[in-house]
This record gives sequence, C-alpha cells and structure tokens, in this order.
Amino acid sequence: MEDYKFLFKVVLVGNAGVGKTCLVRRFTQGIFPPGQGATIGVDFMIKTVEIDNEKIKLQIWDTAGQERFRSITQSYYRSAHALILVYDISCQPTFDCLPDWLREIEEYASQNVLRILVGNKVDREDREIPAQVGEDFAQRHSMYYLETSAKEAHNVENLFLQIAAELMEQMRFKELPRYEQEQAHSINGRTTAIGDSCCSRLS
Amino acid sequence: MRPRYKRLVDNIFPPNPQDGLVKNNMEQLTFYSLSSPEKLDRIGEYLYQRACRDLSRKRNGFVLIAMEAMDQLLVACHAQTLNLFVESFLKIVQKLLESTEPDLQVLATQSVIVRFANIEEDTPSYHRRYDFFVSKFSSMCHNNHGDDATKDMIRLAGIRGLQGVIRKTVSDDLVENIWEPVHMDKIVPSLLYNMQDSRYLKGMEPHSPEPGEEKNSPPQLAETCIRELVGRASFGHVRSVLKPVLKHLDLHNLWAPNQFAIHTFRIIMFSIQSQYSYAVVESLMLHLDENSKAEPKIRTSIADVLSKIIAIAAEESVGPSVLEIINSLLTQLRTSVGREREPGGGEEHAYQEALINALGEFAAHLPDYQKIEIMMFIMSKVPYIKQQGGMDDNLLQHMLLKSLLTVGRRYNSVSMNTTFPASFLEPLMRMSVVRDPDLRLLKCSRPDAIFARKYVPELFHCLVEGLRLENNTVDNVEAVYTTLALIAIELACDDVLPDFLNMILDIQTGALDKTTGLTAAQRYSLHAVAISLLVLLPHVVIISPLSEYAEKVVAARQEQDLSHLLPELLVGYEVSQPPPPGSPVPQAALIDRQALADCLKDAGLDSQHITSTNVVPHRHSWVESAGVTLKGSVTDLTNMELDSASSTPGIQRKYPEEELTFEAMKRVLAESSVVKREAEALRQKQLNEAFRATTFSELITNNTTSEEESLQTKLNELFSRMASGLSTPMTPSPASSHSSTHKHQQTAPVPVYELLFPELFAY
Ligand SMILES: Nc1nc2c(ncn2[C@@H]2O[C@H](COP(=O)(O)OP(=O)(O)O)[C@@H](O)[C@H]2O)c(=O)[nH]1
Ligand SMILES: [Mg+2]
Repeated sequence: MEDYKFLFKVVLVGNAGVGKTCLVRRFTQGIFPPGQGATIGVDFMIKTVEIDNEKIKLQIWDTAGQERFRSITQSYYRSAHALILVYDISCQPTFDCLPDWLREIEEYASQNVLRILVGNKVDREDREIPAQVGEDFAQRHSMYYLETSAKEAHNVENLFLQIAAELMEQMRFKELPRYEQEQAHSINGRTTAIGDSCCSRLS
Repeated sequence: MRPRYKRLVDNIFPPNPQDGLVKNNMEQLTFYSLSSPEKLDRIGEYLYQRACRDLSRKRNGFVLIAMEAMDQLLVACHAQTLNLFVESFLKIVQKLLESTEPDLQVLATQSVIVRFANIEEDTPSYHRRYDFFVSKFSSMCHNNHGDDATKDMIRLAGIRGLQGVIRKTVSDDLVENIWEPVHMDKIVPSLLYNMQDSRYLKGMEPHSPEPGEEKNSPPQLAETCIRELVGRASFGHVRSVLKPVLKHLDLHNLWAPNQFAIHTFRIIMFSIQSQYSYAVVESLMLHLDENSKAEPKIRTSIADVLSKIIAIAAEESVGPSVLEIINSLLTQLRTSVGREREPGGGEEHAYQEALINALGEFAAHLPDYQKIEIMMFIMSKVPYIKQQGGMDDNLLQHMLLKSLLTVGRRYNSVSMNTTFPASFLEPLMRMSVVRDPDLRLLKCSRPDAIFARKYVPELFHCLVEGLRLENNTVDNVEAVYTTLALIAIELACDDVLPDFLNMILDIQTGALDKTTGLTAAQRYSLHAVAISLLVLLPHVVIISPLSEYAEKVVAARQEQDLSHLLPELLVGYEVSQPPPPGSPVPQAALIDRQALADCLKDAGLDSQHITSTNVVPHRHSWVESAGVTLKGSVTDLTNMELDSASSTPGIQRKYPEEELTFEAMKRVLAESSVVKREAEALRQKQLNEAFRATTFSELITNNTTSEEESLQTKLNELFSRMASGLSTPMTPSPASSHSSTHKHQQTAPVPVYELLFPELFAY
C-alpha cells in the first residue's frame, strides 16, 4: 500500500538566480530561505498534494542553472513529466536565454513533457518584462504561463497544484481509448498527451 | 486478536527508542520468519507501514529500529522467499531518501550498500526504484550543505549509494541496465565532481591515500567507485562511461590545465579491463575530432592527455588498432598543418608537437617490429610531389618526417641497423629527392637545420651503436654507412658539423674498443666507414682544412700499408702483414680529435663541442637483445615486401594494414592478447631456430637479394641527380677493381656507395 495514487516528476530549469530553489522551498517547506548558496548539480524535494481526493506525490528536481552542471542536469530532463522553465521578470537576460533553454529541453526531455513558463519575482518593483511579453512567448512555444513570487508566496502553490491536476487529467485521459496518438499541445484545448513511458502509476 | 506476526513485530520496538532494538524479541521474529517464510511478505509490509507512521510523526528513533530489523531479516532469510520483502525494504529506503533530514538519508544509503547490495536474490524484480536511487544518490553527491561536515557526510552517503547500486545491478543481467545513458550521465559526473573537488584542482600533488582515508573523504571514495565502475565495464559499456567523462571535462573546463583530466584518464586506463584500453584511446581521439574547432590550447591539452595514457594502451594494442591510432594522429596532424597559416599559428604548432609526442609515446611501447611498420606507415603518408609543392605540403612533409624521427628515436637502438630494411630506406630516400630543390643542392634550409640539431645526435647515436654489434655483416655496415652518408648529404651544415665529426670519432672509438667482441674484419670496416665519412663531409660543407686533413689520414693509411682500414668492406681481409692481435693502429693513421677541432677553428667555426670528449654510453647490451636483432631483420624482409608500386614514383604505396574494417577490428579485439603473445613467442623461437640452422653465408644471401637491388636502382637515380649538383669533379668508378673471391661478394650486388662516391675509392 502506497500512500499516493500518482507519482509525477517535476524538473525546474532556468538561469541561475531566477528563484527556482526559492519556489521549491516555498512550496515544499513553506519558507523563503534567507541567503542560501547557489544550487550545485541537482536538488531533490518531495511533496504530496491532494486533488479530487486523490493523493499525488510530486518528486521535484531543482537543477543548477550554471553551464558547467549542464551534463548532470540534462540527465534529469529525460524522465520528467513536467518541466518548469523559470525566468526573473526583473532581469531581461534571464528572459533572453529562454530560447536556449527550450533547445535544451527539446534535445533532452521527453517529446510530450508538460512545459510551464514561470516569470518569478513579481513582487519586485523593477519589472523589465511585461506580463504580456512572457505570455506571448509561452503561447508561441506551446507552454503554460504563470507569474509567481516565491518571496510573497504568490501563485506558488497554484503552480504546482495546476501541474498536478493537469498531469492527473492526462493520466485519466490516457486510460480512455486514444485514436489520435500525435501529441497535440494546446494551451486552451488541454489535450497534451503524455507518452506511456514517462508516467508511472502505482497501486 | 492481532495476527501473530504483527505482535512479533511490535515486540521488537522498546517503549523508549533510545533503548534500541529488543534483541530477544528480534530473535523470535527472525526465527518465526525462517520457519514461516510465507509470512515474510506481510512482515515486511507491516514494518514498512510502522516506519512510515513513525516517519511522519518524526519519531526517527523508531524508524532506525525498523530499519535495523529489516536489515537483519534481509540477511537471515533465504533468497527464494525474499522477493516481496525486498520490495518493502526498498520502499522504506526510498521513504528515508525522500526525507530532508541528512541522518535519515545516510541511514538509507547504509542499508543499500551494506545489506542490499550484497544479498543474492533468486528472482530479481525488474521494476525497481533504481532510477530514483541513481537520481537521488547523484543529487546527494552534489550536496551543498552550509556545514562542511554534514555536506561531506551526505556526499559520502551519495557516493556509497551509487556504489551499492552499481554492485547490485552490474552483477545481475536481469535488472535495469545501469549502463544506460540515463544512469551513466548521472553517475559519472557525480563521481567526477567529487574527485575534482579535491587537491587536483587546488594544484597539489596527488598522493596515495592513507588506509582509512578513503572512507572519510568524498574524493577518495569517488575515485574508488569510478575504478570499480570502469573495471566492470565490458566493451559495449566503455563508450557509455567515457561519453559523460568527456562531456564533464568539457563543461567544467578541465582540459586546460589538464592535471585532472590526466589523473582521471590514468585511473580509467588502469582500471579498465586491459583488452578494452584501446577503446579509451579511440574515444579520446574521437573527442579530438569533435573538438577540431576548439581553441588550439584545448586541443593541445587533449592531445597531451592522450600522450600520457597512450603508452598504457600500446601494450594491449595489436594489428589494425595500432595503425588506426597512428592514422588518426596523422590525420589530426595533417588538418592542423593546414590550419597553421591562420591566426594563432604558434598555438597550432604546440598542438602539432603534442600530437607528435603522443605518437612517440605510443610507438615507444610497441614491440620493435611494429615500430618499423609504423615508420613505414608514416612514410606512406608523406605526400610525394615532384615539383615544389605548396607551403602546406612542405610543412606536412616536415611534420611527418619529424614524427618519423620521433618514432625512430624510441626505437631500440641496438637493433637499429639490422632492422632498418632496405624497403624502408627506399621511400625515405625517395623523399630526399623531392624534399626541397634547395636540399638537393645540398643547402640546408633553416627549419631543417633546427631539425637536424635536434635529432641528429640521437640518430647518430643509434646508428653508431648499431655499428658496434658483433653480429654485423658487411651489409649491415654498408647500410649504416649509406644512411650516415645520406644524412650527411641531406642535413650537414655548419650547425651540426660537430655532431657529424663526433659521430665519426665515435665510430673509430668503436673500432678501437677492446672490450667488444668484434672481429678484426669488423674493426677494419668501422675504420673504413669513419674515414669515408670524413672524406665525404668536406664535400658537403665546404671546409678546406677538413678536406686536407682527411686526405692526410687516407694517405697515411696507404703509406703504412693499412689499406684494410680503407674501403671496400670485406667479410675477411687478406692483410699482407697481419698486425699482431691487439696492436695499436699508428696514431697518424687515426682520426685525431684535436686535429678535427683545429680544422673547425681554422674555418672559423665553433670547435668546442668537438674537443669535449663525448662518448655516449651503451644503453643496452647487445647480448640481451640479440634475439630482437635477429627477429628484426627477418621480420622486415619477410613482412615488408617492397611491391613494385612503391618503387614507382608517384604511386602511393598502399598497405594492407591500412584497410581497417569493422570485422577486422572485432577479430582483433576478440583475440585474446595472451594467445597473441604466445603466438609471438612461438614465432620468435622459430626464427631463432631458423637462424641457428642456416649457415652464415646463406643468411647473407637471403638478406641481401631483391630488395637491395631495387634500393640500389633508387640510390643510383638519387645520387646521379645529386652528383649533377655537386661541384666536385667525379672520376668514373673503377668498379672492376673488385677482386674479391668471397662467396658473399659474388652474390651480393656491387656495394652501393662505390658507385655513388667513386672519388672515395680512387685512393
Ligand atoms: N524579490 C524576490 N527575490 C527572490 C524571489 N525568489 C528568489 N529570490 C531571490 O533570488 C535569489 C536567487 O534565488 P534562488 O532560489 O537561489 O535562485 P535559483 O538559482 O534559480 O535557484 C535569492 O537571493 C533569492 O532571495 C522572489 O520571488 N522575489
Ligand atoms: Mg537554485
């Protein structure tokens, strides 16, 4: 007997310093950690959430943004069910790097991984990327879009709950007979398909 | 009423967790499990549930006790009943690993490594949490806890965990394939990251670990672990280990400086099953290809790593793999030469040096007969252009010849002359025809002068050493003479003149050396070679005092009836007044060191090198390597037939070895090296026997036929061309003056040098 119905693996990527670790800590431990060092390699956290009275366990892999850890971080993309791509809304370069990150994801992640674009640090006054710009980018690349503040716990819980709900939806959807195996990524249509190999269902 | 097994489980927990597992009750539980193995599944599940409950209530003491009980049951119970129990065990290990508390994570890894990895199961389950374990342990290897002690503790636990998973899965074909990239790409960088986070990056010298240190330091444990991993890799897995290694070194900028890269590759080379070590070299070479656009500095560093490990592979490389490696290196060299004119050419040059160095290292560790093959192979790669080639071609020629010499330098000096086959000299001399129009006019271009300064003494040493061998035949001596004469014509210039003179003196010293077992005839030959070279030299580098002196010595020998000290070389001499054995040659008939120095001084040249006595010590005793010498000479002549294509200028010789097919590779790799060695030993034995069974003259005949002829044709061609460029007048050869009655002289062709340097024999 396991104490959850679904297990999903979520991986966070994006430039160093955009707040990935803070988002994970906020979500799993409810804190905004003061002055912690930059992540090395990959960090791991776990959290179980409940959706429609079903327990869903989220395995969260928080990766280092620095280039030199790319060899190890990339190896975690492959088994991810969801990839959260984070940038800092007050830092243009972190937004400019998004295409590079997408290329990485394209190369190393599963074809039909659920992809979410997150603009973090909305609490900051010095915003450089308007919400609309972020949303447009997400739309162009078939990603969900969300703005968060790890500092003020804005939208963080929501981010992970939506991911859990979406993935669960897909699992349910998957149980129905499927005629169209082609992955269709549509933000509104919610028809993202997930490959057989990348979800593990546990009894 | 609760089931019995639940009560037994409950009883092992004390009221106070500090008291630890209740020993008596644990014994009861164990006994029960052994006598009712069908209950083991439920016991496991129940223990798991209790542990989960305690975990969520943060009663870690009880978790510890549950874990200990599981460990004990795991060890006590028999394989066939373990299957589901193991599932419960792994579930709780996972639970512990999911905890944020370092202590619990460490506890989990201890269980994995100490218990689980060491038990044998009859029915391994396919669907285990290895993916999670590898992911989590790798993550732990990168722990960045603020407290150093905690950080080390977690990292160590991570490394141990990986070690456990490796041990568990490698030995078991049925379970998840640990060699899959998805795992290797996590395991390898995690281990390397811990290794590099140590003295190697801090520029300290590596030292061998103290016993016990390994357990305490993540770098040491990581190193142990990678050795274990590499040691277990079969041929198909080598690549999946090396790929992440190379990527890691790339991303962490660990090529330049390259201490860590060298360290890592040494570890790999020393732990890999030796028959696969070639694959490591190949991978590194491939990486060099992939980095062809990288800065020269990086490439130089990679090539340097290659040169540091290539020797280890050489001992195991056989057949096509050897030439494959050489071929790759030469290809790199060619590409690099093409780039040299681009900006940053100087760095490109360093890269070429590194490649040549790698080549030399590799060759140095191959058996002698392969060195010859390699030299011939390199020769075959040298572009042959009749007209003056482009800048690139000249450079390439230069580089390849340098490679050739590097290999030659590594070559066992003792067997040099006997193994220097005519078929090898032939293309070498073909080269000299095309080298440079300048060179044909006997002028030495600058790079060649540098080149000569660097290598000539070395080369001379080898050749002269060869001359001192007791089993030399006239042909051997002639071959060396030809080579030395050629070198003189090719490379002699003011700079290296002292080296040449020293060489001549060395030959004479060899002739006079009473400690060697040379026959009188052999001694006479050496004297003749020395004086011939001395006469030749002033023709190349115009120094009239030297020429006068040489003629004086020749005259002295003629006057004192010492003409046996002059050419030609004979197997036996009929000396009219045989000097009593051991009688010294009159001083006037010898080449005098001081006189040579004076000649140089008169000509306004530096005479310092010549006055300082420079007797190079023997590096090897010929006795030790007599077998090698014999082997060499036959190997060359039988293995390396000079096909007609190669003696036709313009047609590149094609070596069968060059055709490397995958099948051939596989064959070679499949062939056990032991078998190979045995075959080699057998062959050598047969060779030795063949030598013992054949008469001396037969051997000579065998050794001096067809090849010599085509060589001679080439030589004639070459030297007649050269002669037209010589300012010295040449008298026609008095070839008919040979009146030898020796069998050998009848079968062997007219000594090459007599045709070529008739003026030397006019005395
Ligand atoms: N103002 C603000 N700062 C944040 C927020 N999230 C993270 N930070 C800060 O950004 C820096 C980097 O955060 P970190 O989580 O380590 O980034 P990571 O490298 O992406 O993991 C830290 O100084 C955080 O305090 C946020 O939502 N708002
Ligand atoms: Mg971080």
